[in-house]
Amino acid sequence: MEVSSLPISASQRGKLISSGYTSISSLASVSADRLAQDLKISGNEALEILKIASRRLHKGETEASGCLGTRGGRTAWDMLHDEESSLCISTSCSELDGVLGGGIRCKEVTEIGGEPGIGKTQLGIQLAVNVQIPAEYGGIGGKAIYIDTEGSFMVERVSQMAEACAEDLIQYSNMLLKDNGSCQVKKQSRAFLDNIFHFRVCSYTEQIALVNHLEHFISEHKDVKIVIVDSITFQFRDDFDDMARRTRLLSTISLKLMKLAEKFNLAVVLLNQVTTKYCEGSFQFTLALGDSWAHACTNRIILYWNGKERCAYLDKSPHLPSASAAYAVTGRGIRSLRSNCKRVRLM
Amino acid sequence: MRTLEALERDYPFIDAAFRGFCSSIGIFSVEDFLLYDRHVLEDRMERAPERFKQGLLELYSVAENYHRPWVNGLDLLKDVEQNKFLISTGCEGIDTLLQGGFRIGQLTELVGPPSSGKTQVCLKTASHVAKEYPSIVIYVDTSNSFSPKRIVEFLTQSSKPAKTEVKRTVEQVLRSIVCHSIFDIFSLLDMLHQLKNQLKSQIHFHVKMLIIDSLSSLIAPILGGGAGNGHTIMITVGYLLKELAYEHNISVVFTNHTVAGEAGTSKPALGEHWKSVPHVRILFSKSHSPKGGCISLLKHTYLATGKVPEFRIP
Repeated sequence: MEVSSLPISASQRGKLISSGYTSISSLASVSADRLAQDLKISGNEALEILKIASRRLHKGETEASGCLGTRGGRTAWDMLHDEESSLCISTSCSELDGVLGGGIRCKEVTEIGGEPGIGKTQLGIQLAVNVQIPAEYGGIGGKAIYIDTEGSFMVERVSQMAEACAEDLIQYSNMLLKDNGSCQVKKQSRAFLDNIFHFRVCSYTEQIALVNHLEHFISEHKDVKIVIVDSITFQFRDDFDDMARRTRLLSTISLKLMKLAEKFNLAVVLLNQVTTKYCEGSFQFTLALGDSWAHACTNRIILYWNGKERCAYLDKSPHLPSASAAYAVTGRGIRSLRSNCKRVRLM
Repeated sequence: MRTLEALERDYPFIDAAFRGFCSSIGIFSVEDFLLYDRHVLEDRMERAPERFKQGLLELYSVAENYHRPWVNGLDLLKDVEQNKFLISTGCEGIDTLLQGGFRIGQLTELVGPPSSGKTQVCLKTASHVAKEYPSIVIYVDTSNSFSPKRIVEFLTQSSKPAKTEVKRTVEQVLRSIVCHSIFDIFSLLDMLHQLKNQLKSQIHFHVKMLIIDSLSSLIAPILGGGAGNGHTIMITVGYLLKELAYEHNISVVFTNHTVAGEAGTSKPALGEHWKSVPHVRILFSKSHSPKGGCISLLKHTYLATGKVPEFRIP
C-alpha cells in the first residue's frame, strides 16, 4: 500500500485504504471535494492530504535541471568552501581547541559527557560566553540559548566568567593594537548576560516541546549561534518503563537538533551524564542513554579524570583523529592547565 | 495499482455496469482483482452477461502489464558481467573481505558500534568511486558528518601525479559528489522517488553509488510503538532501494548502528524484519589499538561469513 508511506495520521490512512485509494497515483486525479465525500472528512483535511500526495508525485516530475539533477542536494565542491570558512567557538583552553580543530564547530551537534563534577556545566557556560566574542577578536559575535534541565545554571558564575572574558579581550586589544588609541567596544559583563537566553525545563515533555519550539524561536532571533542543553539526560533517566519509547523520543529530538544546526548554521552542544556498563569482565563508565543515542551526534567528547587532572578525549569526529587534552576549571572559567601565569589566549 | 474507474478511458468494456458488478463482489482496483480467487470469479462470471466476460478479459490483459518480463540464466549472467560488477571501495581491508568491493545492484550494510569507522568508510568510498568512475555519487547525510575536507585528504593521499593535475581532478571529483542533508524518513522517501524518476527520464544522469549515513537514525523514530506503521515504511524504503539498485545499476551502501542484545552482546539495530533486506552485511568492531578495528561478514550472497581481516583507516 503506497499511501502508508505518506506522512499522514493513522485514521486518515485507514480511511484512504478502505475507500480504495491504495496508491499515490490514485490521489493524483481526484478532486478535494470528491475525496472529502468518499472519506467523510472535511474539505480542509482532504486538501491537506492531496497536498502531501502531490509533493511526493511532483517531486517525481522531471525537470531539465542540468546534469547534476537532484533538487536539494549540493555538490561537495560548494560545501568545501563553506567548510573551510566555517567558524569555531573557542573553549578558552588552547590545547582543547587544538584537539577540536579550532573549537566547537557550527553546523554540527557535539555531545560532551563526563562524571559529576568534571566541569560539564562549566564548559557549557564558558561556551555560552565565548560565542559572543566579537568578530574582531576572532569570535562569532552571536547569542546563546541555554536549556537548563538540572537547574545548575548559576548567574553569578556566568557574570564571573563574562568579566574575565571581557578583561581578556581588553588585554588582547591593548597588546596587539598598541598604537590604536581609541579603544574598541568595551564589552561589559552585563552585555554578555543580555545575550544568553535561558530556558528552564522540568520534565521530558517540556524538553520535547521546547526543542519543537526552537525552530520558531531561532527564526526570530537569527543571531543565535549556539544551543546548549544541560543536560540532555536528566529528564530521561527515570520514570521510563518503556525503553523503546525513550529511544524513539530521543532519536526524534536528535534529528530535530541536527536539522536546526544545519538550517541555521549554529552549533548544538549536548551535555550528557555517565552510567556504568559491565563490559569485558569489569564495570566501566560509559555515556548514558545507550548505544542508539551514541550515533545521534556528529562529535563526541568524553571528560575524565587523569589522576588529579581533568582531561577531554575526542571520541568521535568525522574528520579529526582521536586525541585528548588536559584543561582546568579556574575562577576565570575554563583555561589551559599550564597557565599559572596569566596568559592571554592568542587567536 | 489503479482503480477501475481510471481504466475506463482505455478499456471501454470496463464501464459503469461492469464496475458495479465488481464492487458488489468487493473488487475496486486492479490489486483487488489480482487477490480475488480466480475460480470463484469465473464461477460468478458464468451467470453474468457476455459483456462482462469481455471486461474480465480486458482486466486480465491489464494485469499482464504489471509483471516483469521473464529472463533466462544466460541473460542474467551477461547482465552481471556487463552492468553489475564489483566496485572497489578504496579500503584494502574491505576489498579483501568482499573479494573485490561493493557490488552494483546490491545493498550493502555497514553495521557497528559508535566510532568504529563506518562514516570514514563511507567518505573513503565516495572519494574513491567519484575519482575512478565518471559518474555521480549521491551521499545522504543525516548527522552533518559529511566532510569535504576529509574527502580532499583521501584524494591527496592516494594520488601520485603532479600537483596541478591533482587540483583539477579534485575539483572534478568534488563536483560529482552530491550531498543531501535529510533528517526524516519521509523526506528520504520523497528524495528517492525523485531520483527514481530522474534516472528513468534523463539519459546523461549516471549514478554509480548511493550512500546513506545513517539509515538507522532515520528509521529509529518510527519503529515500534502503537502506530504500527513503522515496519511498513521501513520495508518500503528497503524495497525502493533494491529497485533503484537493480533497475538503474547503482550500488547502495548504508550504515546501521548496534543495540544491546542478550547477555551483554550487541546486535544490529532495526530488528529481525530488516535482516533480509540488505544483500551484504559487514560488522565493524571498535578497537583501541593503533592497528585499527576488525571487520567481519555477517551476511553475503555467496561468500562464507565470519572472516576477520585487520582494518585501518589512514
